[in-house]
Amino acid sequence: MVHVEIAAEELFRLGPLIVTNSMIGALLASIVLLVIALRFARGSGIVPTRGQSLVELPIEFLAGIVRGTGGKRWRQFAPLIFAIFLFVLTANWLSLLPGVGTIGLVHEVEGHEIIVPFLRAGAADLNFTLGLALISFVSFIAFGLRANGARGYIKELLVAEPAYMTPLLTPIHLISELSRVISLSMRLFGNVFAGEVLLGTMLALTTATVFLLPLAFVVPVVFIFLELLFGAVQAFVFALLSMTYITLAIAEHRQHGDDHHSGEAPEQGTAPAHGAA
Amino acid sequence: MDLTPLAAGLAMGLGGIGPGIGLGIGFSKAMEAIGRNPEASGTIFVPYILGLALTEAIGIYALVVSLIILFT
Repeated sequence: MVHVEIAAEELFRLGPLIVTNSMIGALLASIVLLVIALRFARGSGIVPTRGQSLVELPIEFLAGIVRGTGGKRWRQFAPLIFAIFLFVLTANWLSLLPGVGTIGLVHEVEGHEIIVPFLRAGAADLNFTLGLALISFVSFIAFGLRANGARGYIKELLVAEPAYMTPLLTPIHLISELSRVISLSMRLFGNVFAGEVLLGTMLALTTATVFLLPLAFVVPVVFIFLELLFGAVQAFVFALLSMTYITLAIAEHRQHGDDHHSGEAPEQGTAPAHGAA
Repeated sequence: MDLTPLAAGLAMGLGGIGPGIGLGIGFSKAMEAIGRNPEASGTIFVPYILGLALTEAIGIYALVVSLIILFT
């Protein structure tokens, strides 16, 4: 049977701060990113070397998408999106290295011997994903405030388009804004954590009996490939959703202005009421 | 008798039905669109991935709930 722990395990304490193995994993991911960035930011030339083009590949891919769907101000939030994507991608892929989640100290809990690993996938801890989701939440609110001004943003948030629908629509709108944080963080956490459990289960199934033992060298490999794919897709999805939220927050004002100027037939009657509110 | 594993299994199994159907519909429509207009595959890709992620989130909720039932 696989031992599964939802919360990241505590390794040691630094004063009041509890250092978990997930934090070590995330720290390792940022160190790797930092080393790569320092190595290729200095010595990069117009004609890329092989390593440089490998590093530039995901950036170019993402830059194309951000430029295509990010609207006019894509340059402002592009670094944030790149950082989120690269960080989550590195953390996810580092967690597939052998030794992560398997090498650790043996503890005895309720008569069972369990391993507390030194390293754990960064995103297999809800604190990691919730932190990232909060960064994305704060940034899309900040971009919305900057693009629309405080008044415009709060009006957009609290007043529905036909003014008489406000009591019904505003709670839904607020809940949908808040649920973005929950769905962003839960999606990443669920995927990565389920991936870890899946890999562990596949290994445990194939090593359960002697007859299946040769399969233990084949079956997990397939799932590790699957996890490589999922790690990239989830990092992409997280970055893309953050970008979409920011773009929506920025664009709200522009749509609003267009409504006032063009004044389509069904909205003509409500436009003065909206302006008064 | 401890029914916790059954609850976790039911939560995941029933919670997987909806997202499964939804993802299937979305994927089939995307393939249909690419089949009709192969040049648009680049344009379809990003909204498709977004829709996929939003649909899949429901399944992930079921997964998280069943994991919480199992291990806490």
